[in-house]
Amino acid sequence: MKKEETVKLISAEGFEFVISMEAAMVSQTIRNMLTSPGSFAEREHGEVTFPEISTTILEKICQYFYWSLQFAKGKETEFHIEPELTLELMMAANYLHT
Amino acid sequence: MAMHIRVKRNKTTYFVQCDPTHTILDIKQKLHTLIDQPVNDQRLILSATGEVLDDSKTLADQKVENDAVVALTFRKDDRDFEDVNIIQPDDFYNARDADGF
Repeated sequence: MKKEETVKLISAEGFEFVISMEAAMVSQTIRNMLTSPGSFAEREHGEVTFPEISTTILEKICQYFYWSLQFAKGKETEFHIEPELTLELMMAANYLHT
Repeated sequence: MAMHIRVKRNKTTYFVQCDPTHTILDIKQKLHTLIDQPVNDQRLILSATGEVLDDSKTLADQKVENDAVVALTFRKDDRDFEDVNIIQPDDFYNARDADGF
């Protein structure tokens, strides 16, 4: 894992989550930010800030990215979501095309 | 890479992909590529038990499972490591837990 192959996602409260590029690409929205031509600041610094996503939700999303990669490889485990997170998580998932 | 662990310090979480057969030293080397701190100046502590993880042992040996939270601390001077410091977000969900609902 090299530094250039990671992305830093920053929550509304300024908490940082460093994840692999591969995991971040599970989100179509982040994929577009990181791969589209032109100079998105996101691509140059490898940092994406989400002022509207709270820390708890963003962490859950990162966990989902990794779960999703494993699932795609055939490891079918359950992904647990606390009931109280569902609404906000769904809104974030919609925004992130995840 | 069959699993990941969440390595936390202050307000930052590093998701590190790994296998149960990886040693703690392997994990520290991965972290070294992300942060400047040399391997010898890192200490990893399993959050659930408070156990300091041993460089030469594997994740499986020390019951570090997929998605486990591991605290990272740095050496602050020649001898001592800093205390574990993981800041919890002060958002809606945690505020509610604190109220005892």
